[in-house]
Amino acid sequence: MNIEQGAELAVVQYNDKNGKDCVTIKKFDSQGKPDVAPGLARQLVTDKKIIGIVGPPFSGESEAANPIFNDAGIPLITPSATRVSLSSHGWKVFHRAVANDGAQGPGAANYIKNVLKATKVFVADDQSAYGAGLADVVKSTLGSLVAGTDKTDADGKQTDFSATVNKIVQSGATAFFYGGYYQNAGLLRKQLTAANWKGTLVAGDGVDDPGYATAAGNDAAAGTIVTCPCSPASKAGGSFVGDYKTKWGVDAGTYSDVAYDAMNIFLKGIDGGNTTPDKMLSYINSVNYSGVANTYKFTSTGELDPSLIKVWAFKFGTDGKTAPDQEIPKS
Amino acid sequence: MLLEIDNITLLYGRIQALHGISLEVDQGEIVALIGANGAGKTTTMRAVSGLRPIASGAIRFAGQDITRMRPDLRVVRGISQSPEGRGIFPGMTVLENLEMGAYTRRDGAAIRQDLDRVFGLFPRLRERMRQPGGTLSGGEQQMLAVGRALMSRPKLMLLDEPSMGLAPMLIQQIFSIITEINQQGTTILLVEQNAQQALSRAHRAYVLETGQIVKSGTGSELLHDPAVKDAYLGVA
Amino acid sequence: MNFVGLLHSLGPLSIAGLAQGAIYALFALGYTLVYGVLRLINFAHSEVFLMGAYAALNVWGLFSLNQNSATPATVVVIGLLMLGLVAAIIASGATALVVELVAYRPLRRRNAPPLAFLITAIGASLVISEATGVFTHRSITGVPPLIRPADVVTFGNLHITNLQVLIIVLALVMMFGLDRFINTTRLGRGIRAVAQNPDSAALMGVNKNRVISLVFLLGGLMAGVAAVMYVLKIGTVKFDAGFDLGIVAFTAAVLGGIGNLRGALLGGLLLGVVENYAAEVFGTEYRRVIVFVLLIGVLMFLPTGLLGESLGKARA
Repeated sequence: MNIEQGAELAVVQYNDKNGKDCVTIKKFDSQGKPDVAPGLARQLVTDKKIIGIVGPPFSGESEAANPIFNDAGIPLITPSATRVSLSSHGWKVFHRAVANDGAQGPGAANYIKNVLKATKVFVADDQSAYGAGLADVVKSTLGSLVAGTDKTDADGKQTDFSATVNKIVQSGATAFFYGGYYQNAGLLRKQLTAANWKGTLVAGDGVDDPGYATAAGNDAAAGTIVTCPCSPASKAGGSFVGDYKTKWGVDAGTYSDVAYDAMNIFLKGIDGGNTTPDKMLSYINSVNYSGVANTYKFTSTGELDPSLIKVWAFKFGTDGKTAPDQEIPKS
Repeated sequence: MLLEIDNITLLYGRIQALHGISLEVDQGEIVALIGANGAGKTTTMRAVSGLRPIASGAIRFAGQDITRMRPDLRVVRGISQSPEGRGIFPGMTVLENLEMGAYTRRDGAAIRQDLDRVFGLFPRLRERMRQPGGTLSGGEQQMLAVGRALMSRPKLMLLDEPSMGLAPMLIQQIFSIITEINQQGTTILLVEQNAQQALSRAHRAYVLETGQIVKSGTGSELLHDPAVKDAYLGVA
Repeated sequence: MNFVGLLHSLGPLSIAGLAQGAIYALFALGYTLVYGVLRLINFAHSEVFLMGAYAALNVWGLFSLNQNSATPATVVVIGLLMLGLVAAIIASGATALVVELVAYRPLRRRNAPPLAFLITAIGASLVISEATGVFTHRSITGVPPLIRPADVVTFGNLHITNLQVLIIVLALVMMFGLDRFINTTRLGRGIRAVAQNPDSAALMGVNKNRVISLVFLLGGLMAGVAAVMYVLKIGTVKFDAGFDLGIVAFTAAVLGGIGNLRGALLGGLLLGVVENYAAEVFGTEYRRVIVFVLLIGVLMFLPTGLLGESLGKARA
């Protein structure tokens, strides 16, 4: 929703500036469902007036719908689908305007090293593809700072973490990275606090859920850092934050600023006379655009240029909610 | 009549084990049930104590219909049983086994008197008081089963094969104790394969064959009955 | 494999294991009591536990306490713990009785085969746990921080917390009380009699159904106490919390010798400690692997468990 409203805001502003209705936006609601998206995609590619797509917003539906867009040659920029594998299918139309999940691992490691300045770090994961993937990157990035490791059961399958808690306490670590999801992380945090461990728990976006604070209790949860391959929309540049609030009556949400930028990339392309999908695609492949959230330059696989990737740290407060902490420095 | 069994039938699944048995036991008697293996002696005992429900007929005890009464309540009414195979609680000491016999009673002082009485009848049990029931010899277990059945102060004692597996000297001993118990005022219904001993001790007896009573009379009548002699006493 | 770590952390791992094992042991008693008397595995026992956990939380909820509340004053905490225990014991005991009455007694009256009991046991377990899942929207419920963690013993790297002491002491007291009840009271003797020879017990005047109810009630009582200890230790409850714990507790019962009360204690404590040692040496992900290897190893040489099947054969 906030993604769609971000993109629509860009179109409204463009039309206001250039006279009525030069560009129309067509909305397709896939409900985030991989089984709904392909049908809509086939319907979409029959519309010859469509020269570009902002979306699809989620990774699952992207896997299902993007091959259809690729066959039709319609360029797309997703503002929010972060699954790493999306850029590895060889889809020439694919572009991603945010960092992917793989950026969280280095981001978390950098935060631990450079912001927390921890010298002993404990790393554990839940043996899931997501959790173990993150933890492995964190381990290799931190190198000799890793004071100990462990593996837990899958999320929600384990409740007593006394062995892991003991290892963390005995290791003398002041920071603990957990690759996993919010239920296990919440219980770990609660049981660590009960064991008098005062260090900081750092985790990926899988822990950014109100359930984390429910499991841990707000007091224990406070101070926990979760990374996100995104920037908070409230920190976007220009007049975006105010414009969005005026237009929609609510605060800009995560990725709405990126969607706004993605739409503006297309609009700028139209201004440059790129009015067919083919021309638009080659324009995007070489674009270098400064928007409200970031500067955009894409690699050959459609990813953001590594130097432009932003990973933010969010921090749990005593109210059990996360708030932006800071952009994580790259080294 | 203390116990009246009125034409009872009993089924094990589809197999009919008792075909209309009627018998009576009067106050103060020793009554014996004799018969071959599988004649229905033990089944009759289990029907009286309530371990097996009967299919038809009635059982009355001290003038009261107990046909559908739960087994534990029959114990309260005054029926106790020393079951076939003795049914000792192997993990309990001899003393605990005897205390189990008094499970339905709350009169502590009188229970101690009865313990002394049992120990008087079976001095071996006093020696083995703290030993688990499962470690006793067969004869000692038999004594324990009889002693335990006495502990509820029964009006009627059902003794199922009290001589089974015992040495001849012990058989003599147990039967004389049974007579002694009877003389102290307890009515006894006795099931035995050792017909010689049973009939010579019993006031009256019934002969069972395939779930039916085929003969009855006083102990000495049956002891001298040629057919009984032939079938159960092992003499020509 | 980290054997150095095991040696270094032997103290803390043992204490953590004992606290965990104490909960397994109390939980395992329910399986062992019912099995000892009925030769039946009461799979619904995990839900007997679950109801106790939710009952304690609901009682604390009446005082508007949740996971974000501050720890109340010590006097208040003692009162709340008592209330929680009472509520959990009542809820668990009642659940156990209802399960016996609804799922098992009708089958017993009709002399149903053992397989029928197994299915109704699993059925009762699923019904209660799934209904709880629907009712709680399958989400986790937080536990108020009634006990502020504090070390009561510090010795080198060994820190024993107040909660660990409470759990271990409470479990031992409950175990001791139950052991005395079974071994020295008249009702306890009735339970052992039914376990050792049901027919003989009936001939002694023992009401078998009453003994069975009593056994379910006692198992529920222990599970209720285990539930309160669990919520204080773990800090959350979910509708499926009983399942995993149930499997481990059942394993503990078999390891110690199912039907044997002291076996349940030994099996539970041993399992808790072994899990923690194994987690240190091989990693937390291997702890259950090690536990079941141990179980199979023990059963190969001692088929009836470490202490044998005792309500039945040897001394309880």
